[in-house]
Amino acid sequence: MFETPRMPPEAANEPQPDQPRGNIDEEHFARLYETNIDRLVTMAVRKFQVPAVDAEGLAHEVFLSYLKRKDEIRDLNGWLVGAICNASRYYWRKLGRNTEQLDVAVAAERPDPSTTNILNTLVARIAAGEALAGLPPRYQNILKLRYLEGYSIKEIADHLGVTSKYMQKLVTKCLRRAEELFGDSGQGKKK
Amino acid sequence: MKHSDDLAHLAECASCRERFTGNVVALDAARRNRKREFTATAARLERERDATADVVIRHLHDTPPGEWPRLAETPELRNNAALEQMSEEVRRRLHRNPREAMAIANLSASIAESLPPNQYPPVILAQLRANAWKDRASTLRYLACYDEALEAAERGEEALAGFASLEHDRAVVRLVKGMILAQQERFDEAHAMLSECRQMFRDYNDIGRYVQAGLSEANTLYKGARHAEAASLLEDLLRDAIGAEDLESEARIHNNLGHCATNLGDFAGANIHFSEAVAKFTDLGFTAEVPRTEFGAGIVLIGRGQITAGLARLRQARLAFTAAGMVDEAGLCELRIVEVLIDRGEEAEARALTQNIIEEFTAAGLDEQAIAAVVRLRDAIDVDDVTAETVRTVHAFVKSLPVTNAP
Repeated sequence: MFETPRMPPEAANEPQPDQPRGNIDEEHFARLYETNIDRLVTMAVRKFQVPAVDAEGLAHEVFLSYLKRKDEIRDLNGWLVGAICNASRYYWRKLGRNTEQLDVAVAAERPDPSTTNILNTLVARIAAGEALAGLPPRYQNILKLRYLEGYSIKEIADHLGVTSKYMQKLVTKCLRRAEELFGDSGQGKKK
Repeated sequence: MKHSDDLAHLAECASCRERFTGNVVALDAARRNRKREFTATAARLERERDATADVVIRHLHDTPPGEWPRLAETPELRNNAALEQMSEEVRRRLHRNPREAMAIANLSASIAESLPPNQYPPVILAQLRANAWKDRASTLRYLACYDEALEAAERGEEALAGFASLEHDRAVVRLVKGMILAQQERFDEAHAMLSECRQMFRDYNDIGRYVQAGLSEANTLYKGARHAEAASLLEDLLRDAIGAEDLESEARIHNNLGHCATNLGDFAGANIHFSEAVAKFTDLGFTAEVPRTEFGAGIVLIGRGQITAGLARLRQARLAFTAAGMVDEAGLCELRIVEVLIDRGEEAEARALTQNIIEEFTAAGLDEQAIAAVVRLRDAIDVDDVTAETVRTVHAFVKSLPVTNAP
């Protein structure tokens, strides 16, 4: 008879003997994380243009999911690379699906929200872009996280490892700096 | 200078950050928290695995199977390690006791679905739930309950849907789903899904599952009479199986290549592949697989008009079944030989073989109805009142009876 696989998928790989088991070696896991996290985040950001905050989250999930599969992984490096690449693809697929409009008639009735009112908002968006461009990269990043990507003060504070109170001050400072720059360029006076 | 001014400066000045490494770490607190979560979860899972060794086997042994559903409330079984052991038990019992495997898969799904959301990080909860549903799907597939199996596989997919990082787990569930679709003869859907899974396993360098998915994908192509495509895929898989030194997969791939070659009219190639499969199964000590391979090869060769080569394979199969003590399968194989002999007008040999079956079935204490059917066949040959169709009817009847060998 034509053969199909006899074993169910969970039996495809045998356990690997060199994994920590019995004596729990937290150091081993900590080292594993430290050694690989930057590489995985960098891959997600550079190769797939995943925003840095989300790339950190994806890489962390990859590590957690590894814990359930670790006994069957023969090539850790290959597995981690495969995992972060596919996680990044899935990330974009999910975002893509949310904005997908295949039917032209429906699309005409429900225009892309990012282009609605574009004539009214375009000037403001160009101005915001110019103001951001004049700021130091760290200020740009903070304002983008807060006002373009919509993160809360607390989330940005956690991400940057500072207190919420300090982050609130920093956001105010960034805004003030942007306002100064915008005013200096003469654009603000047109308001 | 105030403390907050220090922090503001350090936040902006890369060179100072580098000098004050302590502050760099402080700015990376989110990652530190994540690392802490990872190591704490790793330690917890390992502790549970160590502390609960054999807990599932003990409980299953000490509890009547009818009461297994009650075990879902047992605190010792409500953790990841116990669920992993249940998954292993499902796998072990699937072939020899599918009903028990089903009961364990149900228990596992019931526990996985009722674990509190704070017991593990969400991604791990999703994995263990998906795995439990996948086991249930596998078992239902084995029991030929395909609609329910599909539903279980879809529950597994749902559990994973919110997690981008679980593409490997998703592929494992979809591998089972693809196999179910193939058994429902939805070959195009099955082929697309299995092909996608195969690529995914390749991405993860998971060669074992890559070959498994490929074998299933080739099966859907073969069933859809796309023999050349199936052969091409199997050739690729063979290279990977050889690279991974996976002798069992090599044997199965050779067997399947033999079937493809036969259907493509390449009988010499088919012979080589079947012989390779037999040799590898023999090396592995898979005594039951050797005659089954010979038998399958014989049937497909005869079906393609290669009577002499096919008969030779069937005779080899019969000898190997007998040597392995598989009397019922040896008898069924002999009946196929009798069918061919009757078709060729070689009644004398057909009668001798039929008599041989009667003696072997009687000696092995097989079902009396089976023996009586073969006796009637022999008598019909004696009075020259038999056709190949008669033999096929007897074969189908004997095959439908439960195996009742004497111990």
